[in-house]
Amino acid sequence: MKSFKVELKKCKRSGVLELLPMIGILGALYALANFIIRKNTLLNLPLPPMVVLLTQIYGMIMVLNMFGIIVATTLTYNIEFRGNAIKKIYMLPFKTSSVFSSKFLILFVLLALCIVLQNSALAIIGNIYLPTGTFELSTLLKYTGYIFITSLPVLSFMLLISSRCENIWYSLGIGVAGFFSGMAMALSDTSIFLMNPFVLMTKPAVASNLNMDMNVIIIALIETVIFYVIGWAISKNRHYE
Amino acid sequence: MTDIIITQHLTKSYKNFKAVDDITLHIRKGSIYGFLGPNGAGKSTTMKMLLGLTAPTKGNFMIDNMTFPADRVNILKKIGSFIESPSFYPNLTGRENLDIIRRILELPASSVDEALDLVGLSEFGNRLAKKYSLGMKQRLGLASALIGEPPILILDEPTNGLDPSGIHEIRNLIKSLPKRYDCTILISSHMLSEIELIADDIGILNHGKLLYEGSLEDLRNSARKAGFEADNLEEMFLTMIDKDNALRKQRAKL
Repeated sequence: MKSFKVELKKCKRSGVLELLPMIGILGALYALANFIIRKNTLLNLPLPPMVVLLTQIYGMIMVLNMFGIIVATTLTYNIEFRGNAIKKIYMLPFKTSSVFSSKFLILFVLLALCIVLQNSALAIIGNIYLPTGTFELSTLLKYTGYIFITSLPVLSFMLLISSRCENIWYSLGIGVAGFFSGMAMALSDTSIFLMNPFVLMTKPAVASNLNMDMNVIIIALIETVIFYVIGWAISKNRHYE
Repeated sequence: MTDIIITQHLTKSYKNFKAVDDITLHIRKGSIYGFLGPNGAGKSTTMKMLLGLTAPTKGNFMIDNMTFPADRVNILKKIGSFIESPSFYPNLTGRENLDIIRRILELPASSVDEALDLVGLSEFGNRLAKKYSLGMKQRLGLASALIGEPPILILDEPTNGLDPSGIHEIRNLIKSLPKRYDCTILISSHMLSEIELIADDIGILNHGKLLYEGSLEDLRNSARKAGFEADNLEEMFLTMIDKDNALRKQRAKL
């Protein structure tokens, strides 16, 4: 708990705490504006209304979330490297691995908040604009969980990368490359591509139905744990130099 | 007086280069130990090893009868340190930076203002650290080492970047600390003139090798015997370094 509070204090004025909630609000506003403007076009698509609500808007929201995660993870370690502050942390009676785990926990909560904000907007849209009786809250909740789980591997992977790259442009570069690789590989059915965390996050955005792929969920959870454990272990065992 | 820091055959190698070569140090409890040597002599590397920032290639050390890495947290609880350049969060004020350290060390809130006051940074405590001048950053680094009055201080060239009056002020502060709260100080510098004003014991390092270890008084006596003026240790120090460099060159030719 002490390290969590310390990490929160460090984030002041860094933009880390504000970024993902802002992305959440931006995504929510995008969803609302999109549905208000394109309501007729969207509801005339040959798809059930709930499928339209959850699949036709998520593409853009996913892009926002992915860049939000990339920038937030990069910023959260940039504050450690910019003034060499991490060196001081190594010289204090403090478990260096808890820096990684606390940062992960903070971003985990912020990402959850971001996705809740976006899906709250979808709930509002569903209640107001979908034909009476077609909005299903349980489906929305399940889909929210699915989106959250598939986003976690990118969070844990990017945090691992950011913790190792002192140069902010390296982590951002890897993130952008990951985004493009995700976009390029997500449409393929080749299972090996699911090893790419960016593909897992992109999967719900390229689907045209609400079927939640159990393989994707399991692989996403495994990858999240693997990247987290690697990052935690490196932080624990590596010397500053 | 017992030794609070002891190193035994401490060595640090990087590929083909030995930064620290078989150093055995004895730092007495309650003393100020001046660690002296030209740039690149291995002073900072030795200090980094004592703080666990880098692992020794060979040898070991004990701090207050504890060893790394088994007692890492307990050792670091006792040490206040400042290595090379100041480390700080640029997005936080000086006071907020110290508050982070205070929380980690579980110190009372008043310790932040005490540390700021000690280094003369009180009136700039609410300014963002990224807007500090080099001297102010240096003072913030010192405050982060002194916060909570740790029993051991490891200070690597703490007066770098300070103006002459700042150097004088910080030097007097460092000199007063063992009396103020019974601490042991390991301080490095490449200037003997600075070290001889504050240290009780000194260790002279060149190219990673320890050339001399003992009290400042013994060094003065050796200087007299060698024909140097006892109040001109600088000359003796430079001669020591030059002789060692000449020996190295000879060995390299062979």
